[in-house]
Amino acid sequence: MIFIAILVGCIVGALLGMNAPIIPYTLSKYLAISIVAALDSVFGGISSVVKENFDLKIFVTGFFGNAILSILLTYLGEKLNVDIYLAAIVVFVGRMFVNLAIVRRYYVDKWTNRVKGLKQEKKEENK
Amino acid sequence: MKKGKGIMTITMGVICFVLAYVMFMQFRTIEETNITQIENMRESELSEKLASWKEKYEETSLKLEETNAKLQEYKQKREANEEASELLDRELAQAKAIVGLTDVRGNGVIITYTEDTTTESGKIRDSDLIELVNELKLAGAEAISINDQRITNMSNIINVDIDGKKFILIDKKRVTSPYTIKAIGDPKYLESALTTKTIGFVTRHDNATLQRENNITINKYNGDIKVRYSNEVVKEEE
Repeated sequence: MIFIAILVGCIVGALLGMNAPIIPYTLSKYLAISIVAALDSVFGGISSVVKENFDLKIFVTGFFGNAILSILLTYLGEKLNVDIYLAAIVVFVGRMFVNLAIVRRYYVDKWTNRVKGLKQEKKEENK
Repeated sequence: MKKGKGIMTITMGVICFVLAYVMFMQFRTIEETNITQIENMRESELSEKLASWKEKYEETSLKLEETNAKLQEYKQKREANEEASELLDRELAQAKAIVGLTDVRGNGVIITYTEDTTTESGKIRDSDLIELVNELKLAGAEAISINDQRITNMSNIINVDIDGKKFILIDKKRVTSPYTIKAIGDPKYLESALTTKTIGFVTRHDNATLQRENNITINKYNGDIKVRYSNEVVKEEE
């Protein structure tokens, strides 16, 4: 059910996004950083699902909050003539890798456990 | 539990929708942004353009310098030309003054020569005037006039005898006594030359008086000077 909702949301968003108005190039920088922040939230959500401590409120607030905060920080950096968005990207992408690593470990463990289980079953059958 | 799952489903759908929408919007923006528009350019492109414009600017300024140098050259040439023409003008003015085509002014002497008809020696003949003019020229007179008639280098002074009456013609114009001879030159020199003992003109002629004068004006020659028959000899290079 959830996967269908995710798929539908992605497809509809992509279709509408392709026909969306073009935003000015200077503003696209802010949009890009907010996308990175949102992606970070999504991967964080997936990892929390894997760790079984997923909270919808935290996920939603993190999704929008991170995006808006990153935009604000980028704007501030622009005003201060400091590339703050670089720091934001480093943090977000680093976290994305960490979360992906968690997800990967989880599935690798799961798979190895299953393989072990199968082997054990076979041994028991042989006995 | 079921309600919570429904909310979660919708929320996830909405979030995915938003994410996909924004991502594709960004993709399209990046893809379709016209790079040639300067406000959309990246910094590296801008700096590249700036460099090319700088190069162009340098080229143009170099050209400007060249043109300025050329201009300077032309100016100098023109100045040289002006100098030459000025020199020519000065030469022309001098030549005219020598020939007698311009009014001239300067220090000199005025000789008044009055005819005394009662005595034979008091009579004035053309030779007397010629003698006087010659002496003035010898003494370095630059301009001479008799009764305001300019004596040029081609002037003639002759006696004419019509029915027993004698006239003196200077350049075919009659002049009569008293003769006023003006001469511009070094006044001291002119005076000393004409009043030399026994040979000076003024000393030999009682009816001639000499007077030094400053700022004498001598009018130009009134007639035409035409060169009709003589041609300049041009030396041809072989």
